[in-house]
Amino acid sequence: MKIENTKAQMRKGVLEYCILSILKNGDAYTSEILSTLKSAEMIVVEGTIYPLLTRLKNAALLTYRWEESTSGPPRKYYVLTENGALFIDELDRTWSNLVNAVHQVTSTKTSTNE
Amino acid sequence: MNKTININLGGFFFHIDEIAYQKLRKYLTSISKSLSDDSQGKNEIIADIEARISELLSEKITDSRQVVSESDIEDIIVIMGQPEDYSDADEPYSENNFSQSKNNISGKKLFRDGDDKFLGGVASGIAHYFAVDTIWIRLGLLALFFSAGFGILIYIILWILLPEARTTAEKLQMEGEAVNIDNIEKKIREEFSNVSESVKNAANHASEKIKDGANEFSEKLDQTFSGKNKKNKGIQGFIYTIKKIVQILFKVLRKFFAVILIFLAATVILSLIIGGFSIGSFEFLNIESNFIHYPDFFFAATIPRWILTLSLLTLIGIPFLIILVLGLRILSSNLKRFSKTASLTLLGIWFIALLIIIFTAVEFGTTHSNFGHSIQKNPLKIATNDTLVLKIRNNDLIYYQHNLKRNSRKHQVEVNGTSLIYTNDIHLDIKRSNSNIAYIIIQKTSYAASSGKARKNAKEIKYEYTLEENKLILDAFFLSDLKNIFKDEEIALTIYVPQETNVYLDNSVKNFLSDVKNKTNMYDSDMVNHHFKMTNTVLKCTDCS
Repeated sequence: MKIENTKAQMRKGVLEYCILSILKNGDAYTSEILSTLKSAEMIVVEGTIYPLLTRLKNAALLTYRWEESTSGPPRKYYVLTENGALFIDELDRTWSNLVNAVHQVTSTKTSTNE
Repeated sequence: MNKTININLGGFFFHIDEIAYQKLRKYLTSISKSLSDDSQGKNEIIADIEARISELLSEKITDSRQVVSESDIEDIIVIMGQPEDYSDADEPYSENNFSQSKNNISGKKLFRDGDDKFLGGVASGIAHYFAVDTIWIRLGLLALFFSAGFGILIYIILWILLPEARTTAEKLQMEGEAVNIDNIEKKIREEFSNVSESVKNAANHASEKIKDGANEFSEKLDQTFSGKNKKNKGIQGFIYTIKKIVQILFKVLRKFFAVILIFLAATVILSLIIGGFSIGSFEFLNIESNFIHYPDFFFAATIPRWILTLSLLTLIGIPFLIILVLGLRILSSNLKRFSKTASLTLLGIWFIALLIIIFTAVEFGTTHSNFGHSIQKNPLKIATNDTLVLKIRNNDLIYYQHNLKRNSRKHQVEVNGTSLIYTNDIHLDIKRSNSNIAYIIIQKTSYAASSGKARKNAKEIKYEYTLEENKLILDAFFLSDLKNIFKDEEIALTIYVPQETNVYLDNSVKNFLSDVKNKTNMYDSDMVNHHFKMTNTVLKCTDCS
């Protein structure tokens, strides 16, 4: 088992959550989503995001609109749908539970080690 | 120095150098290949990626006259990621996919191979799995099908159960190769030529879509609606498969027909070839054989016999060759068509063969069209009050006959080193002579292109008889030139005897008598072994009960 794989799997699991969270704070076009994720080091290469966005869109969690841009062709702005909003709320809860759970597990471990 | 190409990438205009262009195109193709096979989603993703690449490029290329170079594209690929990263992200992880860690060097998995399919790609999938050539699996299935009909059942079950290998990763898994960049690249290289076309289409499609964004929005709403009914997809997929199977059943019938065609044509061609070879070697070794029965018209032909044989074989063989190829083409659509030259050549050869055969047949017809007689009249010196004994004798040294009888069968014989035709077609009749002298009329009949030639042919027929005291011993056969083997040559013997002559018919003439008139209307075969006396009209039996 390679560490890289495990890391990738971990990231992958929360990547969708992250994308939806970004959109929760407001509509964004792909480059914005990308720069946020990259600065947080959630993704390594940009390519991965496109299939993900398409899948989320196909699952009706988000949608997009075209917006004119001053510097080039129109941009795709992604918008959270109602479904998506419900989904992200659910995920928020799951995430905080998960963080607590993981924290609990890992901290117990450290405490027993001490 | 390099050529540059102008491209429109995601709505931006770029000068790109040719190598860089190829690299970019290949990159996009590989991505498209590594994405799962939902063409709509795929096109959209590709369009998004193109848009992003153009964005990144336009950040790099500040001067519009600057040319995009290979290193620019390499940088882009580093930012965007390798094709397998896409497929990795593309894997929906929600269902069972966590258990399969796709980046590992994976063991082989059984898939259907959609790229190499005959019906559903089951056989090629199995072949990949066991690393044998697909043809063996197909033959095996075919054998199973013919032996018990189980093959088809197994096939259909596997067809339903096995997923088709769609993504590059799956294809590599199917072939048992490690799923890594090198292999994907290799794989993509293989497929590159095939997909470049479809990628072009996809790109066109994508650019259309961008313009038609509003429309698409409503489409997505529809999809949103149908997205809720996702569970139906499984059932729909099943119905689709069933439909496909029914379609394929017809296809199978077609294939079955093709197999029959191939079998038939191959058998005929094979036997023609074997026949041709054996005739050829018989001829070559000068073996006289009863195995070979040439068509009648071969013998009168001026064209050498081997050419005729070859022509005949070609005449029959070429149509079957075409049937064979037809059958093979039904079976495997990637079989190449005959080239124009090849088909024209075949047609030409066929026509030449046809002409040769027609010519020879016509020649045969003409050489047999006219008959001619040669008539000989020989006196028979016999004492009037003696009994004339009629006998027929064969020369067993020339050709052995167990039962002497008239027939038109020809036999090729050797007499003093020359090949001749031995025939039994002799008709014997006995009539009253108008004078006091007994005589025999020998009428020989033959055929040729003209009556004159026929007469000449007839004259050349060799026939002999002997008269020993009062015994007339007639040959049971006549000999003719070999070229006349298929002419209905015959000899009619009529023996004229004066009134009051006694005649005894030996048993040997039994099968040569031809409607001999007599007072009591006896059958020819009943007349032998009896004594007759010539009345003023016909023979009359003197010792019949």
